[in-house]
Amino acid sequence: MADRRRINGPPGSTMPPVFEDDAGQPEVKSGKGRDRAPTAIRKMFLKTGVTPSASGSAYLEFEKSNKSDVSGLKLSCTVHGPRSLPRSSPFSPHIVLSAHVKYAPFATKQRRGYLRDPSERDLGTHLETALRGAIIADRWPKSGVDIIISIIEGDQDREASKSQGDETWDMMNALSGCITVASAALADAGIDCVDTVAGGVAALVQDAGDDSTPRIVVDPIPSEHEKVLGACCIAYLPTRDEVTNLWFKGDLPASDAGLYTQLVENGIQASRNANRVLVECLGETTS
Amino acid sequence: MSRHRAVRNLDYDEVMDEFEENLEEEEENRLLMEQGVADVRDALGAEAAKVTKTQIEEALWHYYYDVDKSVTYLTTKFINPPQPKAPKPAAPKPTGKFIIPLQAMLPHELQDSLHWAEDNRDGLGGRASRLTGFRQDHVGFRVPGSSPSYPLPPVCLSTHFHDMPWGNIPKGRESILIPPVVPRCGLLGGSGAPPKMTKLQALAAARKKKAQEKTSEQEVEQTRTQMTGLSVSSTPTQKENTPLSGAFSKRLKTSSSTAQGRVPIIPTEPRSESEQSVEPITKEPEVVAEPVQVPPVKKAQPSAFAQTLFGGPTPTFTIQQDVVTLGLAPSVLEAFSKPSPDDIVLAAQAKAGKKPPAGQTKKSKLSTTNSVTSSVAELKIDDTPLPKSRNLNVLSEFEKSTQKKNASFVVVGHVDAGKSTMMGRLLLDLNVVDQRTVEKLRKEAHMIGKSSFALAWVLDQRTEERSRGVTIDIATNRFETDTTAFTILDAPGHRDFIPNMIAGASQADFAVLVVDASTGAFESGLKGQTKEHSLLIRSMGVSRIIVAVNKLDMVNWSQERFDEIKDQVSGFLSATGFQKKNIAFVPVSGLHGDNIVKRSENPAVAWYTGPTLIEELELSEPSARAMEKPLRINVAEVFRTQQSQVTVSGRVDAGSLQMGDAVLVQPATEKAFVKSLLVEDAPADWAVAGQSVVLHLSHIDPIHVRSGDIICDPNKPIPKEKTFNLKALAFDFLMPMQVDVHRGRLHAAGKITAMPALLDKVTGAVTKKNPRLVKPGQVARVRVELDDQVPLEAGQRVVLRSGGETIAAGLLE
Repeated sequence: MADRRRINGPPGSTMPPVFEDDAGQPEVKSGKGRDRAPTAIRKMFLKTGVTPSASGSAYLEFEKSNKSDVSGLKLSCTVHGPRSLPRSSPFSPHIVLSAHVKYAPFATKQRRGYLRDPSERDLGTHLETALRGAIIADRWPKSGVDIIISIIEGDQDREASKSQGDETWDMMNALSGCITVASAALADAGIDCVDTVAGGVAALVQDAGDDSTPRIVVDPIPSEHEKVLGACCIAYLPTRDEVTNLWFKGDLPASDAGLYTQLVENGIQASRNANRVLVECLGETTS
Repeated sequence: MSRHRAVRNLDYDEVMDEFEENLEEEEENRLLMEQGVADVRDALGAEAAKVTKTQIEEALWHYYYDVDKSVTYLTTKFINPPQPKAPKPAAPKPTGKFIIPLQAMLPHELQDSLHWAEDNRDGLGGRASRLTGFRQDHVGFRVPGSSPSYPLPPVCLSTHFHDMPWGNIPKGRESILIPPVVPRCGLLGGSGAPPKMTKLQALAAARKKKAQEKTSEQEVEQTRTQMTGLSVSSTPTQKENTPLSGAFSKRLKTSSSTAQGRVPIIPTEPRSESEQSVEPITKEPEVVAEPVQVPPVKKAQPSAFAQTLFGGPTPTFTIQQDVVTLGLAPSVLEAFSKPSPDDIVLAAQAKAGKKPPAGQTKKSKLSTTNSVTSSVAELKIDDTPLPKSRNLNVLSEFEKSTQKKNASFVVVGHVDAGKSTMMGRLLLDLNVVDQRTVEKLRKEAHMIGKSSFALAWVLDQRTEERSRGVTIDIATNRFETDTTAFTILDAPGHRDFIPNMIAGASQADFAVLVVDASTGAFESGLKGQTKEHSLLIRSMGVSRIIVAVNKLDMVNWSQERFDEIKDQVSGFLSATGFQKKNIAFVPVSGLHGDNIVKRSENPAVAWYTGPTLIEELELSEPSARAMEKPLRINVAEVFRTQQSQVTVSGRVDAGSLQMGDAVLVQPATEKAFVKSLLVEDAPADWAVAGQSVVLHLSHIDPIHVRSGDIICDPNKPIPKEKTFNLKALAFDFLMPMQVDVHRGRLHAAGKITAMPALLDKVTGAVTKKNPRLVKPGQVARVRVELDDQVPLEAGQRVVLRSGGETIAAGLLE
């Protein structure tokens, strides 16, 4: 029950209401839309070996969108392990993977708690699934590896009070980033994987404007579009041509099955692009 | 009134009525809506097919069932729009249900003046925040859980905050913020510029670096070609459209043709080396996957945050002078442009502190270099003394010290000749032991019926010695006269303990031979140990001998008896090899103390005018000390003390040592350090040859040190021998036989393997080669082989015994 004795401030940040003084003012949306090609993902900066105390670590950030006020996603991942399982745990012939994703309290517009909320746990589960397909798990029996990702900054439009429903779509982008950065950190830790797994997001969006037809874009920023109709996040192994994790969200008409296929395809493409950055980064480290 | 009662008294009917009223209102609205839709459809006529029911309802709702307005709106929006258009290609699904919003209850004025957004569901804050334009075209395509994002209309903020510029701040009003110049380091703790590495990481990095260096030129070339290949592959249009061959492309084909339910696969760039070298396969050019244009992905530059985190290239700040010194007078600026007075003073002090004359530095440097090189050349790591060592020059210390002469003598003689009693008397009379101790001993001796042994017990302290009344092992004691510090070595007279006597004799400078003057005893002694002992001490190298004719009181101080004994003994001693001048005779009574320290007051001894025993001892010059020779200490005893687990006592035979020295223990060949040492039972810093010392050793295990070992200089260690040649004087018949070799405390089993020559006693010339037998009294060269290695050195004197008899004594060659 809320504390009634004192006046509590709102849990999130608020913006002062700005009233429309002129009803007839034309809507101008320049400078807010997407300026990238529909198949282009944002530029990424990836660096491994950032945390000395961890077995492996990586830092990933997306380029700041220059059109909107969306700051880029910033992730840091640490991998601890492989280390022996505690005595209490039962025997495991494979490596026991545990992935934790946590938003920093200041990462999003809505302040996050210190404990993991269901959405973060959800991300962790997805991440674990994505990585499990990449790790050669039976090389380390009786051992465990902890993958801990902290989202330092989510890619949200912090300025406006408008895009309140975007959090669910932001999770997609966050997950794809998590997958990529975790893969880099695993490689940094020297844990054997069949391939580097990278995440990619494709979404069916509707842009503002009268002539807008829904279109498929990769790496969507929800605030750049009028509406996100559906999105899918894909974890993809390029050399093996395998998808380790697929997360679909949205409300697409069931009649057009091709739409799903296109979304997945674009998602794969996005993840492949992300993978290229990943491979380049790992190559820099080793060379 | 309590809450419970309030609840109890709640009028349910009233509440239900209110609810029904609400329902009635909704019903009314629905009827109105249906009516309105019918009206609009009528008004539109044929055009009515172009609009859906939902759209009509929507319009009606927003114009509050105003049919005319709705018709106009619908006509302009859907029927005769600039471009009328089907709502969605994805077949917009009517939501099916119409939500009757709460706004129905709002005042009508507000509803008229504002266009309400349809979506008001999400959040309480939405009502206030979504005062944006009404957009008809989005109705009906909603995704649950998401709300359409409407960008803010371009509200002219400057009208609201016309005094305070929000953006577009004129240059003049902008404040200049200078970010602090942070040191180049990571945020994650640590102080160094690069992120701190763990030891393992450092190791891995080093190894990586090494491996990197190893890569040959060829590999570099290979990598370069790969890199060019990569750059080609990254051009998307070319590569992405290149399909792969085989099953993979077939799969691709099906997927692209069927498209439904299958994910079309776009070929990847080849990753592995072998694949890279393969040319792009263009067998099936017709199979073209989705022509997805992928721009090349470039890595983004790290953001300011990342740069700070990893200590990347910090942006250079150009601090403008005028910004910093805003509003400061030029004189103030001037003052800070030069070093401060404090700086000047400190610099001057630092300069003055370390300014030696230039010439001197050079010279001293040169000399120090020379001395360093020479000292380095002399350096031996092996025997570096412990830091405790004072590095004394022991010999010069010895010269400086004004010590008394040091002499040790061994007391030998036949069993029961009164050696121990005489020594006890000597010590008593010299007040080394006090009267009370002797009284106590006397009482104890009386108890077991041996009251005459009381003085002997001063030296014989073992219970076995006391009960048997014989000395078993050497007893050492010390006393000092005005000129000399003496060490008494009281040797056992019994024939069974000859090895112990040998040990004592080896430490002695001269000997006191005690002869029992009583009738019969002297004669038996001369055949027994008197003879053997004198032979032994002579062969041990003792040249001076004082013969104390004891127990003369038993024969009433008869001068005849004394002379008789003197004649016999001197004759015998001369035959043994003692020189006449080195033999002295003193008539004494050990039990009563006549002529020992004090001259006898008995008138019966008036005939003797010579020196007393103690005077005779003082006359004896100790033999020359071999101080310059390398260190040799015969270990007499090994025991434990609090100072050290390994404490050894013995006599320094040759050389010198000091505290902290490294020594070598033979035959174990173990190194040890002298922790501290006692000379004559007093702590000392050094010791020289001739002194009896107690050494506290460190850095050695007790199992390596045994009595009979030799402690020596580690640089000039005593050699360990298994076979040696001996110039031996035979006391018995010698032939190749088993013998015991005695040297001091050491005794080792061995055998005579050969007797190469018989030698002349005086000249040492070979008289006969390879004798079969060596007769008693003959001198021969004998070869002895030992069972074990034993530290032996040329010039040492050893005794050969066999079957409890001394058969030979001699000098090592």
